[in-house]
Amino acid sequence: MSIDISNLDVTYGQEKVISGLSLAIPEGCFFTLLGPSGCGKTTLLRTIAGFVSASAGSISFSGRNVTQLPPHKRNIGMVFQDYALFPDKTVAQNVAYGLHARGEKGEGVTRKVAEALERVGLGHLGARHPAALSGGQRQRVALARALVIKPQVLLMDEPLSNLDAKLRIQIRETITELQREANITTVFVTHDQEEALSMSDLIGVMNRGAVEQLGTPQDIYGTPRTGYVADFVGAANRLPVQLHASDGRLAEATLGSVRIKATDALPGPASEGLLILRPEDLKISATPHDPMQSLPAMVKGRQYLGSKTSYRLELGDALQVVAELHGPGHDGFAPGDRVNLGIDPALARVIAA
Amino acid sequence: MNAASFRSPWFWMTLAALGLLALFVLYPLVNILSASLFGEGPSGWSRLVSTPKYIEAILNTLILASAVTVICTIIGVPLAYVTARYSFRGKALIALLPLITLVIPEVIAAQTWLMMLGNNGLITKAMREIGIRLPSFYGWFGLITSMSFIYYTYVYIGTVAAIGKFDVQLEEAAQSLGTPPALARIKVMLPVILPAILASALLVFTMTVGNFAISMILSHRLPLLSVVTYQAAVAEGTSSITMQSTLASVSVLIVMAVLFVNRWIVSRGRYEIVQGRGARPVPLKGLRGALVAGSAGLVVAISLLPLLTITLGAFTTARGPVMQWGEWTLDNLARVFVTAPEPLVNSLTYAGIATFISIAFSAIVSYLVVKKPNLVTPAVDYISAIPLALSGTVLGVGLLAAFNGGWLPLTGTPIIIVLAYVIRRMPFGMRNGQAVLHNIPNSIEEASISLGVAPVRSFLRVVLPVMLPAVASAAILTWTTTVSELSASILVYSGGRETLPIQIFRLIDSGLMAYASAYGLVLVAVILIPVVLANRLFGIDVFSSK
Repeated sequence: MSIDISNLDVTYGQEKVISGLSLAIPEGCFFTLLGPSGCGKTTLLRTIAGFVSASAGSISFSGRNVTQLPPHKRNIGMVFQDYALFPDKTVAQNVAYGLHARGEKGEGVTRKVAEALERVGLGHLGARHPAALSGGQRQRVALARALVIKPQVLLMDEPLSNLDAKLRIQIRETITELQREANITTVFVTHDQEEALSMSDLIGVMNRGAVEQLGTPQDIYGTPRTGYVADFVGAANRLPVQLHASDGRLAEATLGSVRIKATDALPGPASEGLLILRPEDLKISATPHDPMQSLPAMVKGRQYLGSKTSYRLELGDALQVVAELHGPGHDGFAPGDRVNLGIDPALARVIAA
Repeated sequence: MNAASFRSPWFWMTLAALGLLALFVLYPLVNILSASLFGEGPSGWSRLVSTPKYIEAILNTLILASAVTVICTIIGVPLAYVTARYSFRGKALIALLPLITLVIPEVIAAQTWLMMLGNNGLITKAMREIGIRLPSFYGWFGLITSMSFIYYTYVYIGTVAAIGKFDVQLEEAAQSLGTPPALARIKVMLPVILPAILASALLVFTMTVGNFAISMILSHRLPLLSVVTYQAAVAEGTSSITMQSTLASVSVLIVMAVLFVNRWIVSRGRYEIVQGRGARPVPLKGLRGALVAGSAGLVVAISLLPLLTITLGAFTTARGPVMQWGEWTLDNLARVFVTAPEPLVNSLTYAGIATFISIAFSAIVSYLVVKKPNLVTPAVDYISAIPLALSGTVLGVGLLAAFNGGWLPLTGTPIIIVLAYVIRRMPFGMRNGQAVLHNIPNSIEEASISLGVAPVRSFLRVVLPVMLPAVASAAILTWTTTVSELSASILVYSGGRETLPIQIFRLIDSGLMAYASAYGLVLVAVILIPVVLANRLFGIDVFSSK
């Protein structure tokens, strides 16, 4: 089932939460809406579910317009942030609920419930009540309940945010496995970039009610098109630069008072741009780097983080960048040291300001 | 708000609730206020200020309420403090306090005091035999004593709750900064729990102002507001309602003033009480332990006394008003069940219907208010709280004023009694329902809808079962309080529709204490049986929702 959203507007009172949003999610895709709280990602998910009504535009499932269809007729599976298990019903009754609502009875229901619970590894807990389960187990029940009805579309609203870090990684795998297995078109909402990068086929980075960039995890991380996306997905130094010449592949720019070369990711000719430098792509050394371009800098502060050290450097002209060193001796510089900052033109990118 | 909201069934249900509330809560209130201003002849207010008895009644009521409030605070706060912070022998008995206020109707408490200390009272007569003449229990002495021993439990309950929430680490912080322990407690704890104490004291004040049963039975020749209002209502009937409406308006104004003060205190005293570490009760031993246990025990014993008195009274032979203590009989109970069972039947019927309506209404309307807010929701929320500010007497006057003849004549029907019960208790059901619903996440209802179940059916299949235990306990609480309701029903009932409390009140008025005790015992049983059954069968603790 593919999902097509066109020119969608959603308003709460006077406030426009989503405006003119269009999006096509192909069948079987694991699609993630990524963004900070308040960017409209949950609203968009709830609009797809039908709990929020669109004030303009349309939503179709595989070409069938569902914009006016009430949520209980959309055949969706939904997993909620707080799991939303029915506290008065047992695990098995929770999972059977949607099947009963579809008029299924008897042996068939029992078998499907058992299978669904088996698939999430909870075959032995059917008789328990949700209160007697751990957070991770509740999450699995919620997943089984949503999947057992064989929905057209699976919608998940920050389903991992209430779990601890280790469990989160485990359940991530469970979710992606089940999704691939059932081949259900899935929309997953999160503010966690790691979740988005590790689970998705496609990511839509949302900002102020619009999708700012749509692409594979590699696209989003490797070639962010805006400063917002670069900063939200991974960390990034964003520095305004003056642009001079470009051969289409490398652009020449002035950063403060020095000239550097960086990959041209501009949509067209421009005189100003934004230089994007990922901290892990930068090098620091006592002597100038050979093949790379090198800028003099001074260490202003550092944080030792175990596997790496993060340095705050001043480039002169009051410009500051953050660089991370890995590998042996990564904590070898101290505040006050004069160093050379190495920038690889292939990894530094200039985008539109 | 868009066109879709008008199409939703929830909007129309909210509108229907608003209509019912406007008709049965606002309309009677408006009737009272307008009758006090625009009655026949001179306005009620000019008659009020020119009649010394009325002015005296208002002043007496304010003095009585102040005295009772102060005494309740003096009893309730220390009792709460020692139970929260110390353990001593017999402490478990004090846990019965909420139960006592619940199961002993005021009319029975008043009766007990009369049987002990009234003109023919047990203690009065015993004292007279050894040559001591006790002061008359009628008037100030009896009013203040009996009301204080009923209402102190409200201060106790409010204070215990506040101390329970208090974070002892604050006290330890004060000690670590160099304040001695006892002083630290007063300096740090008192300001934090003071708003709760004041709020419960104000509750006592309004309840004393609105008190009907004890005021009627014990005030004798002392005019009190609720008594003169009732007398005016009885004297005027329903043809001219100027004076009763004016007096009822006065109590509304007093209660409104108190609520205003309460709001002011709450808004000033909004310290964030961070849920912290509670205190472990310190054991009290030796003389101090005995002293605390003794005085706490005495207070509780006095509160429990009515149960003993009516039990004995119900089985004691009486010749007219004279109790033949020591001579046992079953005649009194035979009267309740065989000769004159109508009050019992009436009470069960009216309170049963009222409980059902009240609980159904509050469950549905709380749901609408909490989960489906729309344009008219604030009005529903606000109007449904109004009965909290109306005493039973005021409500009775209002119902008579609004539904006597006219386009909706209800006077003389059982409906008006049920209506009085429902209106008095509905705000408590609403508060309970809203509290429960705030704790039920919207997501479980949405989960049900997402699984293919339509909205109204989702409410019935998913939300209602989760609400059920709380609704059941609210139903029992509503039952216990409606079945003992007197002050509104005594104004609106008509011949043949006496309820148990009305019957008890009339028997006490005629001095027939043995019969009154028998009806009282049955009333307490009617109240207590559902409480015990709910606890035993379903594990419902009624007091947790209070």
